Amino acid sequence: MTWEVVARQDWSVTLGARSVKLLLGLLASVVVLAGYIYPIGAAEPVTTARFAPFVLEGLRFALPFVAVLLTYGAVAGDRESGAIRLSLSLPHSRRDVVLGAFASRAGLVTVATVASMLTAGWLVVYPFGDLVLGRFLVFLGLTALFGAVWCGLGLAVSLVAATRRRALVLAFALLFLFVVVWETAVAALTLGLNAAGVVDGELPGVGQFVTGLEPSLLFERATTGFVLSGESVAGPWYMSEWVALAVLVLWVVGPLGLAYHRFDGSDLS
Amino acid sequence: MVAIDATDVSKRYGTETALDRVELTVEEGETFGFLGPNGAGKSTFINVLLDFVTPSQGSVEVFGHDCQREGVAARERLGVLPEGYSVFDRLTGRQHVEYAIRSKDADDDPIDVLDRVGIREAADRKATGYSKGMAQRLVLGMALVGEPDLLVLDEPSTGLDPNGAAEMRQILREENERGATIFFSSHILEQVEAVCDRVGILQNGELVAVDTIEGLRESMGGGTKLVITVDSLRNGTLETIRGVEGVETAVDGDESSNGDPTIEVTCTNDAKMDVVVELHSAGIDVVNFRTEEASLEDMFIEYTGARR
Repeated sequence: MTWEVVARQDWSVTLGARSVKLLLGLLASVVVLAGYIYPIGAAEPVTTARFAPFVLEGLRFALPFVAVLLTYGAVAGDRESGAIRLSLSLPHSRRDVVLGAFASRAGLVTVATVASMLTAGWLVVYPFGDLVLGRFLVFLGLTALFGAVWCGLGLAVSLVAATRRRALVLAFALLFLFVVVWETAVAALTLGLNAAGVVDGELPGVGQFVTGLEPSLLFERATTGFVLSGESVAGPWYMSEWVALAVLVLWVVGPLGLAYHRFDGSDLS
Repeated sequence: MVAIDATDVSKRYGTETALDRVELTVEEGETFGFLGPNGAGKSTFINVLLDFVTPSQGSVEVFGHDCQREGVAARERLGVLPEGYSVFDRLTGRQHVEYAIRSKDADDDPIDVLDRVGIREAADRKATGYSKGMAQRLVLGMALVGEPDLLVLDEPSTGLDPNGAAEMRQILREENERGATIFFSSHILEQVEAVCDRVGILQNGELVAVDTIEGLRESMGGGTKLVITVDSLRNGTLETIRGVEGVETAVDGDESSNGDPTIEVTCTNDAKMDVVVELHSAGIDVVNFRTEEASLEDMFIEYTGARR
């Protein structure tokens, strides 16, 4: 396995860019700011567990954008410039190159998230809040997973697009669909179906499951189920936090796996 | 052991045929020159070898490893200077070489490598600021890391000045003496002529000739070229010479320095004197007379031009 070598290389190349430091700084400041504001306005008790849904509202926007902007050019850019030819002339397989890029970029996002989350956690706990350590760590894990989903999606886009520009367009289409319009579209759909008399009130179970497949909704459900004390996710089993967790993992592996398969069989020209 | 073994390799892009049933064997320890005009398919062949491109048909093996199915194993023994690469953004020359060292699990000293290719003083500068020639030296340096058994170089002298090209040839000779097999492509003939044991000539995706340079000269009818300066050239003289047994071509050459006409004749070695005798008996005085070995360039034009 040589993906570690590629990851190390990719890490230093990526972190060397000013734009990357800026993006990661942006992400970190969103989290830290949330940690600063939350104890001021929140109702008692102030705990790290109840901080989770608060910061999640910021993360559901900030994390996808930062992760995708960090990954969309990873392979497409090197492919366009020809730098990937240097890597693939060395004894690295294409899988090593993809895994290495994923490990390095998801690693950067995770480090920025975890570091800022720890700072935010400290701001929440000091001086009046309570630390619920176990649940806070679970939330850190879920956040890292959510970041990995979007790094995986960004990298998948990078693998299927032949140029950096096309990758950027595809990446923004994904962000627009999932982050910007998804919930509005689902609401409109529900309203429309209600008006047409097809459903009464909420969507039926299957509909709820499908419209709930969007990563940030899964992240939210998993956070509600695993992190918030005393609350459990209402509804049938397929809306539970465990299913949400499993689908999040699928979101990491699925798109990246399919895109890798396509990349592996294509000619670099 | 066979270093490169290509069997029936074809690559088609739609209706375009980039490689047409190429059969090629390069023995261990050889320096093999892959020659052809631009667009003949040299890079496509090297891309197949590096698994950048999957052949439509056939296969290439490097030291017994299939380049597509066991690409990593094949490339483990390779040092590569590909075409169409670019250096990594934001990394210095030294970091590039360090990447190659880690990737090949070698223990070379990056500075020694950079010294050998002549860019030691640029080691800590960002490689994106290098000139094309320096980048070429850098990537050659990366290729040399870990004493590879086979060096595959696509147009290695691109961007190098004549001095740099000579240094490059010197490095290739040293590597060959160490025991490495060398496979490089070029459209510059003197490069190939200077270092290669054997050459293959590629034309429109087809391998039209594989031989030693001497062998290629042999196949060109002994490969002797006569340049004869005469006092005058009459109608019919060239036809007369063409009639001599062993003569392949006879053409009107450039005028000599003092304005006398010249005749250029290619013929077998044995026919040389017959040509002179023939001229003499036609009443033409031979002012000067020299022979040239047919250069690879003549052969190259002969091979590739004839098929256009």
